[in-house]
Amino acid sequence: MAAESARKFEALEAQATALLDVFKRAGYEQVAPSIIQPADVFLDQIGEQVRSRTYVFTDLAGDELCLRPDLTVPVSRLYLERHPDADTPARYCYNGPAFRFQPDRNNQAHPREFRQAGIESFGAKDKESADVETVLLAVEAVRSARLKDFRLRFGDIALFYAFIDALALPDRWRLKLRHYFWRPQAFHALLSQLARSERPDAEGPVAALAGTLDRDDPEKSEELVACHFDDKGLPLAGNRTLSEITARLLDLLGDLRAEPLRKEIATVIDYFLAVSAAPEEAVERVTMIAKGACIDVAPALQALVRRFERLEQGGIDLGKSTFATEFGRSFEYYSGLVFQIEVGGEGDASQIAGGGRYDGLLAHIGAPREVPAIGAAIHTERLLAAVERGA
Amino acid sequence: MTSAKLSIGVPSKGRLKDQAAAIFEKAGIPLRNKGPERGYRAALEGLDGVEVVLTSAAEIVHELKSGRVHLGITGEDLIRETLADVDGSVEFLVSLGLGRADVVVAVPDCWIDVARMGDLEDVAAQFARAHGRRLRVATKYMNLTRRFFAASGVAGYRIVESVGATEATPAAGTAELIVDITTTGTTLRANHLKVLEDGLILKSQAHLFASRAAPWDTSAKKLRDTIANRLKTS
Repeated sequence: MAAESARKFEALEAQATALLDVFKRAGYEQVAPSIIQPADVFLDQIGEQVRSRTYVFTDLAGDELCLRPDLTVPVSRLYLERHPDADTPARYCYNGPAFRFQPDRNNQAHPREFRQAGIESFGAKDKESADVETVLLAVEAVRSARLKDFRLRFGDIALFYAFIDALALPDRWRLKLRHYFWRPQAFHALLSQLARSERPDAEGPVAALAGTLDRDDPEKSEELVACHFDDKGLPLAGNRTLSEITARLLDLLGDLRAEPLRKEIATVIDYFLAVSAAPEEAVERVTMIAKGACIDVAPALQALVRRFERLEQGGIDLGKSTFATEFGRSFEYYSGLVFQIEVGGEGDASQIAGGGRYDGLLAHIGAPREVPAIGAAIHTERLLAAVERGA
Repeated sequence: MTSAKLSIGVPSKGRLKDQAAAIFEKAGIPLRNKGPERGYRAALEGLDGVEVVLTSAAEIVHELKSGRVHLGITGEDLIRETLADVDGSVEFLVSLGLGRADVVVAVPDCWIDVARMGDLEDVAAQFARAHGRRLRVATKYMNLTRRFFAASGVAGYRIVESVGATEATPAAGTAELIVDITTTGTTLRANHLKVLEDGLILKSQAHLFASRAAPWDTSAKKLRDTIANRLKTS
């Protein structure tokens, strides 16, 4: 185990001071959220894949805690502590350690303890301006640390949602596709199922029970399911309600009765998710795909185009950037524009900074309503290494 | 004890204890307790130079990994759960046919809309919409669960660690489903749980394992072969 928490301590400190100066000059208040966080919030929001890399422990009082695996959730909690009603806009910046177990081994590109410097903005009503400001500020920050040779990668979760919403699909399929977007493997399986026009198994006792229900009368359907449970002596356990179980049976009934979905829909989604090009070309291709499928995603697409225009005015070389429709699929709380600053080289070490919009997160961790939120974080060890390599 | 050439970990409690004692008896090398009756050391009668370390099946996995014992009898479930690199840490010498049990994914009986792992992700999505959180899986097999769920494409869950009475957690409301070990399924049925059709994670039984980290000199290897052959043919 490394005896020293961070190599090049002085160089990192100097760099962090410079980064924070950029953020503070832009009006972001410096905060220092707790390193030890309640594990619940992370595990409920981020899920088991991140838990497997989070240092989780139980303290002497029996509380389940963790060393923060990133700073977005801790800063969000800090915001809610200061503004429980989430009714005041606030902009924060920070620099501090985060911790992740490294399954392969603890090394320089993948340290178990690393530092993040970043910004988070809550409650800004003009989302377009906040998006542009965040990207530009992250770029200004890495430039101030003398990073010269880098490129940007963009994605837009809102565009994916708009695309799915515009397709001619029953709601149950729309919800499924939106959810499975975050599970690329299962999403792929779902699309193949769609493409084969597969129908659910109509045999068996469950399909038979579903067949007795009525999609237009959920209440009566619930009663029928309750009777079934009584007959079979099945107690209701596991925290799912009768209406949740009934709703899934009604979905099954819907799939049993409905026409199979059109195969082309799977193809269109595949085409859409394959788009990865410079922003201008990517927007053109999405436009073509939408036109070919006779669907309207113009509002979402125009919102994206306006952001790109303002980023270009702000000095971003879009010719060197990439927009990929499926980028941003790994962090489930993202809801809109996502971006990453990259340098040459392979794998994670090339990812210097990243961020995105996450409008849904605060409501999930206790805000009384949805709060517009966007942030960005810089992996400072990687930034320093890239600058020293001359990137 | 200075004359010991090979050490072997044998379960000192639980079901495996009596079963392990029986197979050594049958193999003609019965366990013989040494010293005070509550001792943690024993010998194999008729086989000189062997030190038997009596400890829990879970501890034997750690002893094998670190090489503090040459051989050990324990369950495959514990080996696969605990060791990150199974093949690099231990060798499977003899499958003993003891302690047979399945590690399975089980959900409440009343989840009639859930039959397979694939259904779980749909339920996870619905559950998150309705309750604002993930499905909780109670288990002591955190690593087996994570690997199996990942391979099945299920991600909308979180694990709550459970060291005892796991099968009671869905009824108690502290978890929605479980990953647990079952032999006959009676306990699961009594708790109104059902195993998913494709929810078998591991068919486990006890094996004689050899540690790859232990010091293997010629006499230790000889004793290993003798013990393995006796247990195989008995």
